[in-house]
Amino acid sequence: MSMINRNPYISFPSEILDVIKHTEKEYTFRMAFQGDVKPGQFFEVSIPKFGEAPISVSGIEEGVSVDLTIRRVGRVTNMVFEHMKGESLLMRGPYGNGFDLDLYRDGEVIVVAGGTGVSPVRGVVEALSLTEDAADKHVIVGFRSPDDMLFRKDLANWEERLDLWLTVDGAPEGYEGKVGLVTKYIPEIELKDVSSARAIVVGPPAMMRFSVMGLLEKGFKEENIWVSQERKMCCGLGICGHCRVGDKYICLDGPVFNYTESKDMID
Amino acid sequence: MGYTLTRSEFDQVLEGLSEKYRLYAPVLKKGQGRFTDTDVVIYDFVYSSSEIEFEKKSDYSFKEILTPLSQTLFFFTENVIKEADIDDSEAVVFLRSCDMHALKRLDQIYLHNGSHVDSFYKKIRDKLHFVLIGCTSSFQDCFCVSMGTNRTEDGYLFSVNYVDGHYDVDLKDASLEELFADSGAAAGDVTAAYVTENEVEVHVPEEIPNSVIGSDLWKEYDKRCVACGRCNLVCPTCSCFTMQDAYYTDNGKVGERRRVGASCMIDGYSTVAGGGEYRKKHGERMRFKTLHKISDFRKRYGYDMCVGCGRCDDVCPEYISFSNIINKVDAAVKEGES
Amino acid sequence: MIRDYDMKDYKRNAFRQSKHRGEIASRVRVPGGRIDAESLMRVVEIAEKYGDGTVNLTNRQGFEIPHIRIEDRDKVNEELQLIIENTGVNQGEPGEGYPASGTRNVVACPGQDLCPFGCYDTKELAQKIDKMIFPNNHHVKIACTGCSNDCAHVRLNDFGIIGQTEPQYDPNRCIGCEQCVKYCSKRSVGALSVVNGKIVRDTNKCIGCGVCVNYCPTRAWTRSKEHYFRLELMGRTGKKNPRLGEDFLKWADEESICKIIKNTYDYLDAYLDMAAVESKEHIGYIIDRTGVEEYLKYAMKDVELGPKCEMAGRIYWGGKRYDQTNELRKSMFRFSDREE
Repeated sequence: MSMINRNPYISFPSEILDVIKHTEKEYTFRMAFQGDVKPGQFFEVSIPKFGEAPISVSGIEEGVSVDLTIRRVGRVTNMVFEHMKGESLLMRGPYGNGFDLDLYRDGEVIVVAGGTGVSPVRGVVEALSLTEDAADKHVIVGFRSPDDMLFRKDLANWEERLDLWLTVDGAPEGYEGKVGLVTKYIPEIELKDVSSARAIVVGPPAMMRFSVMGLLEKGFKEENIWVSQERKMCCGLGICGHCRVGDKYICLDGPVFNYTESKDMID
Repeated sequence: MGYTLTRSEFDQVLEGLSEKYRLYAPVLKKGQGRFTDTDVVIYDFVYSSSEIEFEKKSDYSFKEILTPLSQTLFFFTENVIKEADIDDSEAVVFLRSCDMHALKRLDQIYLHNGSHVDSFYKKIRDKLHFVLIGCTSSFQDCFCVSMGTNRTEDGYLFSVNYVDGHYDVDLKDASLEELFADSGAAAGDVTAAYVTENEVEVHVPEEIPNSVIGSDLWKEYDKRCVACGRCNLVCPTCSCFTMQDAYYTDNGKVGERRRVGASCMIDGYSTVAGGGEYRKKHGERMRFKTLHKISDFRKRYGYDMCVGCGRCDDVCPEYISFSNIINKVDAAVKEGES
Repeated sequence: MIRDYDMKDYKRNAFRQSKHRGEIASRVRVPGGRIDAESLMRVVEIAEKYGDGTVNLTNRQGFEIPHIRIEDRDKVNEELQLIIENTGVNQGEPGEGYPASGTRNVVACPGQDLCPFGCYDTKELAQKIDKMIFPNNHHVKIACTGCSNDCAHVRLNDFGIIGQTEPQYDPNRCIGCEQCVKYCSKRSVGALSVVNGKIVRDTNKCIGCGVCVNYCPTRAWTRSKEHYFRLELMGRTGKKNPRLGEDFLKWADEESICKIIKNTYDYLDAYLDMAAVESKEHIGYIIDRTGVEEYLKYAMKDVELGPKCEMAGRIYWGGKRYDQTNELRKSMFRFSDREE
């Protein structure tokens, strides 16, 4: 069937291959998916009679599955959490541009990710951790508290392979890891050549704004910074209008934007 | 080919058209206005000329046929998802020049924004034909001349000017010639009427720098605007929608997914799961809407979204004038340049 | 000059007896409180020519021209003729002023003519009722208000007429913006709720104020073709037992209300205590005496309420009972209790 006649709102069923529980409120659903997909893209997960929710791809096993890390925050995601391994979920996508891995494979890179913002870059960080010069890949990951940490297994792996800075905004007494906002650690990373280094920033709006400021202060060129945006998305197709910012549609033109574009995107 | 028709001749033409098409036109709904014993002009299906409101601007636009205010997309039963049937019978829509231009904007979003085509929209759109209602004079708040939408040369079956109780038709579609000839209509020299001047004039700046976003001019609307969204809902070019799922209360296993009209002025439009909202202040929403209409849309597709129909001005309960906002933006841009 | 005037006759002729010896005040009747500019000018002229150049605005939307000499009555009546004709007030003999004063001016809020919330033309109904019941010497107070806001304070009248509209809902035009729900809750009674993205109206709670219609951005809510009315009965002020009128009918039609009012005069003819001071007795007190049932026998004669109309099963009036006690210090509730 041609694109023209296909109904883009129809979802397909996908089997839940595995459910990985990170916290009470955050699970990763490993969904059977064989098509082309990139980290940073997203799917609309559909629960008939409850609605749809845009969920970014947090991991990919090519030709086999995609990981969808879901935070339980509403009607739809509550229902998703009722589903178990072996059952199916409806979804449509992938949508959006995603990260172009070739841009970050070589040379020095800083990834700054906060909270569920880790999901869209998890695939990127995983790829970076497997590069030859993984020591030049610096990853700052921030969570609200030690209990909110996602992808613990991955974090342990990354710790081994690349330069990981794991921090929490606040922690109970006796916590031995780093404490403080991600922005605190941006200046501490030592780079060989900031003029050619690239950066990815993903997380809540305020965290992204201050992280980009930190990177620019550090000497990063605007064109070497990428951000992944999050907005309300209803259709994922560039039609419903909710995710538009200026002349850009986050679901079509993003969610990943070079900072030279995103700096002019004002809600 | 031009014709001058009496009411009964025109009715005969409409009767002939009705055999093949459903006719969709502005209709004066008695007593259905906001206030007691006031009327409103809304689009509806008609059969004869007496039902069509030729002398007023419609309060709500024709867009409701293409993008219904509430449209069911899917029905859900226990295990089956059924795509809702769409009424896609052939239809003829009576509209004015500004609305013909608005149609192009709706097509842009629903058919040509990215690679996805909205199949629900397309099904209806493919079956629509148009009749242009000529404008013999400008209405209150219209500024189509400034927006370059006062004239439409093609894309319709025929145009009709309603003048002094008769109907002057400029027939474009040759296949309807017989229908007009049979009605007994007198041939005449007719072209679609259009206005060359509006009382309201705006000047849209060629380029609107981002500095306008931070301008103080929006602050006034934090208080003045009540975020009712009427401007969006009457606008022929506003096309946003929100998905809405429901299960029937008497049987939770059965339900539907629908989409309903959305307004960037109304609370909730930019609210994400978890409660974050990207534009809380009403002035910010006004800026977001305004810049879309006269700048952002143009950056993406090369022409302005606003068609200058002035319905937003007509409907605003707080007497906020969109045309005045355009001119305020223009002044702010000029001030920034000097 | 011998000063021998039949003050009863003056009063029935709509002149108030003044405490200033030799003076009267002319009471100008303005049904619905709407007067044409020409008549208004005449009020001014009378005040300047026969009064002291001042005019009182009355609580019931009329005028009172004070400080008129008793012997100028006929001249003033002649001047009033223009006003009486312009306001369409029923009259006996032209040139002889107002033929009665007992049945008070019918009051009206601005209503649909001006007010976005007005559910009917209050002025028109007030004028219609006035034409129907005036002249009459029975002491009856009637007021019309456009919506449940009751700006006209109709609950202080024997008959309080409150406009209602029955909201009509078209789910196909509803986008679920919930503004109706919000404003119904904030400005009215909170009769609306959202079920599955669409609105459900609690028909028992809904007072027919039309707020939902006013705030609906899509015309999903519209007004009913029919104008409906809530009728409040027997509110009053006064020394003995002031009280608010009580709900008698809701979703009533105009014709029924007019009939009930007209029928009430037959009841008054039958039961008015002629021994009362100045033969003037409030209907409410008569009903207290005869019982509501007896009153309704008269009032509901030939009245056919519409299918939507609801009638109160029983009516109980509350209010102050100054004729029983006026004790404040020993009242049940004391502010000092609240602070503990």
